[in-house]
Amino acid sequence: MKVCVLYSGGKDSNLALLKASRVFDVVCLVTLIPRSEASYLFHYPAVNLVELQAKALELPLVKELTPDEEEGGLIALKNVLMKAKKIYGVEGVVTGAIRSTYQASRFQKTCWDLDLWCFNPLWLKDEVSLLREMLTEGFKVVFTRVAGYPLRKSLVGSLLDENTVRFFEKIRQYVNPSGEGGEYETFVLDMPLFKKRIELLEYEVVGSDYDATLIVKKARLTKK
Amino acid sequence: MILLISTCKYSLSEEEFVEPIAAIVRETGCKYSIRRYYEKVNFSEFDKIIICGTALKDFNYLKYLSNFKPLLNYSGKVLGICAGYHILAKIHGASLSKVEKIGVYEVKVVKENPLLDKKVVRAYFLHTLALTEANSFLEPIAFQDREICMFRVRGKDFYGTAFYPEVLNKEVIVKFIELK
Repeated sequence: MKVCVLYSGGKDSNLALLKASRVFDVVCLVTLIPRSEASYLFHYPAVNLVELQAKALELPLVKELTPDEEEGGLIALKNVLMKAKKIYGVEGVVTGAIRSTYQASRFQKTCWDLDLWCFNPLWLKDEVSLLREMLTEGFKVVFTRVAGYPLRKSLVGSLLDENTVRFFEKIRQYVNPSGEGGEYETFVLDMPLFKKRIELLEYEVVGSDYDATLIVKKARLTKK
Repeated sequence: MILLISTCKYSLSEEEFVEPIAAIVRETGCKYSIRRYYEKVNFSEFDKIIICGTALKDFNYLKYLSNFKPLLNYSGKVLGICAGYHILAKIHGASLSKVEKIGVYEVKVVKENPLLDKKVVRAYFLHTLALTEANSFLEPIAFQDREICMFRVRGKDFYGTAFYPEVLNKEVIVKFIELK
């Protein structure tokens, strides 16, 4: 089956991509670009960086700008999936949804309306186990944003490792370890499907103690 | 030993519809075995059976209803989730109607039962087929609007849920596993 992956460039969409690639023909990535960080449905990816990831994966990227409000977001999702279906013959959509019934039901409904299969291979998985699975698979994941206590600014710009996983395990009562609710965001620099890895050359961390963002000014693809 | 039956045409769907159930079974410490809908299984080897759901566009399992007919003589306990609910309804002669329901909805429990002890719960639905009328074999337990979203097969410990209890109503699965 030809599938596309709803791709934000973060750890979950990359793990979903990896799982899908083992059983299906992934023909393109689909990215929705919210106008601001306030989007209900979609993560806020740095578009240039997602384009770099698509190059690293050697996969075409289908993108669409989306307004923040729900209705506009759903129309944009429909439009971008229709584009993927028309251009690449996509028959199914893979998402990195884990536990959000809000996101999942909207993805499911949109796929149903477009006569597309919908796959959510991370659905209801234990979030800490998923983080460990990413490490086992050799993912290089950088934290690009924290959005509230107890996640500190110092996490931004650091790489996911076993210590961070243990930290999320410890605070899981207060913070969803997957960050699915927007508690934090990530960007994947390398994973098994990348033909080249991404190197961040110039960046800075802006914001306050518990609300900070990584601004990448220069990045490039490097030999693995 | 609990039997988990996958109704998924594609293995990637099993990550979404079978593995979460297997994880709950593991948490209870029970042993389980997973089989697929197209396999002929000797049900009597198992104490309990959970027939899991599948993707919204997947109806392949309905072509294999004959594999489930031996359940009519099975004396153990069965829980059918969505596709499993369809299978239980169909082998007991009921008809399914086109009812599209995707998302979280309120469920009203109308009949006392060992799996859901609240009068009203919120549950996650993902289906386009459901029961709107019960026949003499099926006893409605809960409704969502006019849809019979949970039933029991009369005289047996066979239950069907149109919703996915693993999402917001995990206790349904745990109580089923613990049924004596």
